[in-house]
Amino acid sequence: MFSDADRGALHVRLADEAEHIGPAPSAESYLRVDRILEAAKKRGAEAIHPGYGFLSENAGFAEECAQAGIVFIGPSPESIRRLGSKTAARALAKQAGAPVVPGSEEAAVNIERARELAREIGYPVLLKAAAGGGGKGMRRVDAENELESAIRDASSEAERAFQNGEVYLEKLIEKPRHIEIQIAGDRSGNLVHLGERECSLQRRHQKIIEECPSPLVAKHPAMRAAMGEAALKIARAAGYDNLGTVEFLADNRGNFYFLEVNTRLQVEHPVTELVTGHDLVQLQLRIAAGEALPFTQQDIAWRGWAMECRVCAEDPENQFFPSAGKIEQLREPGGPGVRLDSGIYPGWTVPLEYDSLLAKLVTSAPDRDAAIERLERSLAEYAIEGVETNIAFFREILNDPEFRAGNLSTEFVADFLARRKPRPEPPPELDRAIALATLAHVQNLRQRVAGAEKAEASRWLSEGRSQLLR
Amino acid sequence: MKWQVAVDERIFEIDSEQLAAVKEVEPGVYSVLLEGASYEIRVIEKAQALSSEASGRQFAVEVRDPRDTSRGSRTSLGSGRQNVAAPMPGKVIRVLVEVGDSVAVGQGLVVVEAMKMQNEMKASRPGRVAEVRARAGETVGAGETLVVLE
Repeated sequence: MFSDADRGALHVRLADEAEHIGPAPSAESYLRVDRILEAAKKRGAEAIHPGYGFLSENAGFAEECAQAGIVFIGPSPESIRRLGSKTAARALAKQAGAPVVPGSEEAAVNIERARELAREIGYPVLLKAAAGGGGKGMRRVDAENELESAIRDASSEAERAFQNGEVYLEKLIEKPRHIEIQIAGDRSGNLVHLGERECSLQRRHQKIIEECPSPLVAKHPAMRAAMGEAALKIARAAGYDNLGTVEFLADNRGNFYFLEVNTRLQVEHPVTELVTGHDLVQLQLRIAAGEALPFTQQDIAWRGWAMECRVCAEDPENQFFPSAGKIEQLREPGGPGVRLDSGIYPGWTVPLEYDSLLAKLVTSAPDRDAAIERLERSLAEYAIEGVETNIAFFREILNDPEFRAGNLSTEFVADFLARRKPRPEPPPELDRAIALATLAHVQNLRQRVAGAEKAEASRWLSEGRSQLLR
Repeated sequence: MKWQVAVDERIFEIDSEQLAAVKEVEPGVYSVLLEGASYEIRVIEKAQALSSEASGRQFAVEVRDPRDTSRGSRTSLGSGRQNVAAPMPGKVIRVLVEVGDSVAVGQGLVVVEAMKMQNEMKASRPGRVAEVRARAGETVGAGETLVVLE
């Protein structure tokens, strides 16, 4: 199905059948449950795959699908509800015995009580707005003498932003790493985990590079089973089926804390597919069709290393600002160990209405260094003209010694931008070649402009052209 | 005939005859042969300037006509009046300049919001603000002129 903005999108062109569901704004198309169900009925669809945006984590949509007699390819509405709210999921995780970030469940209203709580949790602590999000009302507190004024500041900031000044305390995890566990379950209650993905590299709180295994887990091999077990406890408590992802924050010593559950397929699922050899989307379809999991926990093995870059239409040199426009030229990479999940083609215009993700470039190899080398080589081959992309930025990151050493954290991109050195001048021959190519191009342009003017001047030619159009 | 080409402000003097070393292999993509070694360069036409890409890096480039030294000016690319346009549809959040202001390279002119991100439109060359068409709070279409510099 597609909106006006996706009229020429690749998924529409490649689909056997495609149904128009409304205008470009998602509130009038991709979020319209009634139109989606109508389209499904008209085409005789038995099931709907909700993808990984829009309604994919919407319990109401899952419910309406069921009522309409259409299979929702994902977990039950009840599981989505139990895990959808962050606070409900945290309470459920704690109850199930999974580690959560130590913190106060109560708001820090009384300073005496707040001091007590902070001492229990241990400094540094993080103040967070109860109603909050987006960093508003957040304060780091390193010592007790800073606590009182920090609570006052955070609370007034939260009051202004959310009309609710309540703040609570949480243990601050320094340079946290984002590591998540892929889970899968069938409708008979069989549940397995397919290992972890590390997604610490983020900008604007969105992941840009993901890998499996995690370099941290590779250093602390016991983490995989421990995190996997914690994720399965939560899934069991929620009566979960189909695919899902349990996200954790981890520190560099290998401690991990539950963050949230994504009750859908993740953008970065290909890295798990390449390392485990299982087709996760096919698995979703089989589970939704009522089949049992085709493997047990013991059957799952991890082989080699996979890494993904999210190639986006955005300008890394301008705060990652999205860049819409027409794809003028395209050269795609290939070769052994290279997978490109792409939604673009030359002549297609990147719509402004939706996400800036153009393609996912994923490589796999026997070890991390080799996967990085393949990714670097593929990025060098990859050419997208017409919009700004983050391809060159990825190449810089992949060559960064800290990245190569696997020293990742969710602050990596900010730290990298701060320590990034101006790039050295190119070798003199290359510099000269650039000058020559530029001059050749400008001369071509001049000739073309002059040619066009001459052509305009020729009435014979314009007469001839209009004959052709008759 | 000699030309001056600036690559990230490094100036090269180039004789027209030297262009024999350049072959256009694809539209906008050139193979340059220097002492037996081939270099591939892509020249990209951006809204207000040229940019050349080599080895995954972009360089700001400009061709200067040596005959036109009187005003110390450049070729038709980049001289005269310049329209600063919105790169995509969005909403004008703030206008940072007024008519008559002198602006330096990189100075912010207008803040436009699109795809939930704020973007500061900057001057790509020094000049004076001749016209301000953007108004705070108004929506603008792609390519719509926000400010005219001269």
